[in-house]
Amino acid sequence: MTAVVRTRGLSRHYGDVTAVDDVSIEFEQNRIHGLLGRNGAGKTTLMSLLTGQEFASAGTIEVFGQSPVENADVLSHVSFIRESQRYPEDFQVRHVLATAPRFLPHWDQEFADRLVEEFRLPVKRRIKKLSRGQLSAVGVIVGLAGRAPLTFFDEPYLGLDAVARQLFYDRLLEDYSEHPRTIVLSTHLIDEVANLLEHVVVIDDGRIIVDEDAETLRGSATTVVGPRTAVDAFVGTREVLGREGIGGLASVTVAGLDADERRDAAAAGLELAPVSLQQLVVRLTGTSEKEFEKSA
Amino acid sequence: MTTATLTPSTPRLSRRLGDIVRLHLANPMTVIVVPLLVLTAMFAVMIAIALMIVIGTGDSSAAASFSKGFQYSGTSFYIFVYMMVVAVQAMNATFAYALGLGVTRRDYYLGSAVTWVLFSVAWSILFLVLGAIEQATRGWGMNVRMFTAIYYGEEPVGRAVIVFCAFLFFFFAGTAAAAVFVRWKALGVTVMLVGLAFVLVGLGFIVTLTANWPAVGAWFVASGPLGVALWSLVLTALLAVAGWALLRRATPRG
Repeated sequence: MTAVVRTRGLSRHYGDVTAVDDVSIEFEQNRIHGLLGRNGAGKTTLMSLLTGQEFASAGTIEVFGQSPVENADVLSHVSFIRESQRYPEDFQVRHVLATAPRFLPHWDQEFADRLVEEFRLPVKRRIKKLSRGQLSAVGVIVGLAGRAPLTFFDEPYLGLDAVARQLFYDRLLEDYSEHPRTIVLSTHLIDEVANLLEHVVVIDDGRIIVDEDAETLRGSATTVVGPRTAVDAFVGTREVLGREGIGGLASVTVAGLDADERRDAAAAGLELAPVSLQQLVVRLTGTSEKEFEKSA
Repeated sequence: MTTATLTPSTPRLSRRLGDIVRLHLANPMTVIVVPLLVLTAMFAVMIAIALMIVIGTGDSSAAASFSKGFQYSGTSFYIFVYMMVVAVQAMNATFAYALGLGVTRRDYYLGSAVTWVLFSVAWSILFLVLGAIEQATRGWGMNVRMFTAIYYGEEPVGRAVIVFCAFLFFFFAGTAAAAVFVRWKALGVTVMLVGLAFVLVGLGFIVTLTANWPAVGAWFVASGPLGVALWSLVLTALLAVAGWALLRRATPRG
């Protein structure tokens, strides 16, 4: 295993506000990482710190083994198009496509041209006049065609329609398998990207609350559904991540079950349902699912 | 876990700075075309005024009597001030973008500085050529003096140095202002301008209270336009250093 990113005790304060709080994580090379969390959880600040755009208040950061701050060797291998990325105001899309390759040494022009066509991006339109979705498409194209060894996507598909989002996932996976690189995808549309992710980091209120292999995480919780009394009897003293109920029925999410426990549950006439990554994150960040979706 | 190392080598510094220059030039509309249009418009106004006088007096030789007036023309001054606007616009527009593409602040600042020095050279050459034409045509046939106004001195080499120093000064004043804007937005610029006004008025007071205005005037006369221009390089260098001091801690905001 090779770490591309490594932080120790990383914090960033703005006055009284702690945007990133004592974060120690590692991002492994050539994997797709999900950086998940609610709005304002600290996702963008953390990525800004990792790319040397923000300055840490405390702790250390290593990217490719060195501090990224003002380090041209490191930063020429990194791209971070933020969700609210500012482009030069007088630029047209074509100006972005002409200037970005100079700073991204791994840029593939053919790939970029193909993406422009597929996303139906008007290259002669001024950036200011683009719709939110088209603006996101510009960031997606720069991020994908740039092929930076460490690529950050910050909410890359705001405003993109379902077709365009699918296109992004497809192209990302295709290109990633041909040109492996380290990708960090920050989002709150968790279910849509769940299958892409190999590693999941959940940040809440500036703190890392999950740092886990996606596969492990998926098996880490189960929802038990059935008559309230039977469910309560089965759950007993297990750790409960969430509980819902209607009338005599209860639905309780508990930490992972082994094969024996699953058999016991079936014998008690209970139904077991897998917990989606989104549900899990919602449970862990202590929000009702409705509220979470509203914030998305 | 072991640590990943970097495979392809980083481009050389000269190449990285060249890329910043090209970034500023990527869309020449704001940094080149509009300033040239401003210059053209001002030139047209000068010519129109001269024509009015010629037509009004009905005598083109009468123009000689007002050429004295034209030599104090400050029209070209606006072009210098406009370069401040160009530097502020260009740097405010590209800073966050460049950092998103993985450019260091240091490369960005040095590359921008190289851009402004190159722009100063190009504009000085344009001024000299137009000044030569102005002299050769006796002020565009009407004793108009725009590029050979009295502030630039009478002799071409001196004029070249003065014009170049003036462009440098305004580009780097713009760079410092841009750094303030990038870091603290409009509020920062407002505070800076108010602060600057206080400092200038304060200096004025000191000079007045110590009754040193004649000395100040004498210094300007003794230094001459060329001397003042060369002294401005000190101020320009200070502005360049201040711009870097401010920008090196700036962060791109959404």
